[in-house]
Amino acid sequence: MLADITRLELRLRRRSTIGYAAGMALYTLVVVALYPSFKNTTSLDSLSGSTAAALFGVTGPLTSPGGWLNGNIYGNFFPLIMLLLTIGYGAATLAGQDEDGTLALLTVLPLRRRAILVQKAGAMALQALVLAAAVTVCVLAGRGFELTISPGAAIGISVALVLMGLDFGLVTMAAGVGTGRRGTALGIGAGLAAASYLLSSLASTISWIHPGRYLSLFYWSVGNDQISSGVSAADFTVLILAGLVALTAAVIAFRRADLN
Amino acid sequence: MTSAIETFGLTKRYGTTTAVADLSLRVEPGEVFGFLGPNGAGKSTTIRMLLALQRPTRGRARLLGFDAAADSAEVHRRTGYLPGDLELFPRLTGSQHIAWFARARGGVDASLVEQLIERFQVVADRPVRELSKGNRQKIGLVLAFMHRPELLVLDEPTSGLDPLMQHEFENALREVASQGRTVFLSSHELDEVQRIANRIGIIKQGRLVAEDTVDGLRRAAPQKMEVRFRRPVDPATLSTVTGVTVTGSDGPRMTLEVTGEIAPALRVIASHDPVDLLSRPANLDELFLSFYRESPDSEVSHAG
Repeated sequence: MLADITRLELRLRRRSTIGYAAGMALYTLVVVALYPSFKNTTSLDSLSGSTAAALFGVTGPLTSPGGWLNGNIYGNFFPLIMLLLTIGYGAATLAGQDEDGTLALLTVLPLRRRAILVQKAGAMALQALVLAAAVTVCVLAGRGFELTISPGAAIGISVALVLMGLDFGLVTMAAGVGTGRRGTALGIGAGLAAASYLLSSLASTISWIHPGRYLSLFYWSVGNDQISSGVSAADFTVLILAGLVALTAAVIAFRRADLN
Repeated sequence: MTSAIETFGLTKRYGTTTAVADLSLRVEPGEVFGFLGPNGAGKSTTIRMLLALQRPTRGRARLLGFDAAADSAEVHRRTGYLPGDLELFPRLTGSQHIAWFARARGGVDASLVEQLIERFQVVADRPVRELSKGNRQKIGLVLAFMHRPELLVLDEPTSGLDPLMQHEFENALREVASQGRTVFLSSHELDEVQRIANRIGIIKQGRLVAEDTVDGLRRAAPQKMEVRFRRPVDPATLSTVTGVTVTGSDGPRMTLEVTGEIAPALRVIASHDPVDLLSRPANLDELFLSFYRESPDSEVSHAG
């Protein structure tokens, strides 16, 4: 049974959750269905290795199943949509509701602030899981289109992207309650995510950035060729630890925050 | 007996602005306490500190015997709150709000909810964004009353309500008080508070400037007099008398406000050959307005 605030948040976000999942599922199906037309176009493979390709998250040979999915879904579009969802929610659910004036009604329920925040984070996780499940199901449907990829890797990457989305969403929540402003929170969350993306994608071609890749959560979810080697225990550990740190920061900030 | 509300030197500063300064008050169970003050006086900030929405810069508050900050969940369980600028979730209907909050509070008496919906004539089946301010306010009242709280904290509860609904609301408050439950309500309208409150606190620029029963305040309120003399009288002859303020003077006519005993004023008036004297009973409005007027800020705004 879902906690009350989680249930309310999912109800308030029902349309956008369905919208994100449906849109991303449709996109994924198109990418998957196009694979047979491109898989023998080996000239595409020469794209990878360039800085421009790296900027778009393209790393391996594009015509291999893993490279095709990485270059079209996992390396760019899927994390982008995931982050739109979690960062958007992270900014709206505390700072946004406080600006709207609805947060006070929730805060005067007989619940500790920590519980309120954890329940909201739970709602964020469920929204992210719905999106990830939609993508994963569509990617696995690719087996019908000669796109063979290990289910373990597909599920692993989806879970890693959910975790990365939550990390940035929680950072945004913390920034939101710390500053009390939705716009500022969005800026901080999106800015950190963009920096993280650039760091990971450019690290493969620009040597002086290379050591910095460890600071990027993208590196720990999709940037280290997880599509072929699988998501490692170390990857999961980093993503989970980052989430716990962000969650703790958000709880501390929320407990201190003055609300309207 | 445990007080319903006790505050000790409650203070809130935002940067260099002091919103509430050293506020100490006590409200006993079964009382209806009216918290009066002009807009921006610090009423809502005080209420937010009582409900732990904001942390005091200094001082503390106890509600129903619990520390407002440390035991906030317990305080919230026993308290009903109506925010000053009530905002609900625009896409949800009144029924959806009521059902969700009832469940989040661990269930409430369904028959009481129905009674409240009927009493406040709540439009329950339309999304809140389609409702007028008054109709949204009524949903807020149901949310505040429905778990039969021991303490009701209501920030400007009647804003947007029509007179009929205000009347119904006042009846509901009287019932609450008669059951030994406590009401703390803020308002900037004296009339409303005068009708329902046992005791009144007046806050101005963050400070509690008066706290008394309605009768007590009335006794202290200035009495207005209009005097017509046979010939012009220098206002200074009266303005030097204790408790007398000359509010207007036009040749032989003079208007005065007298606080406390009227005998000294009458003696001076009698010695100047009065033709006519009209005295209006002590009016709480005058007292209340005098608190408003004394603010330098409001004088500036009146001058414009």
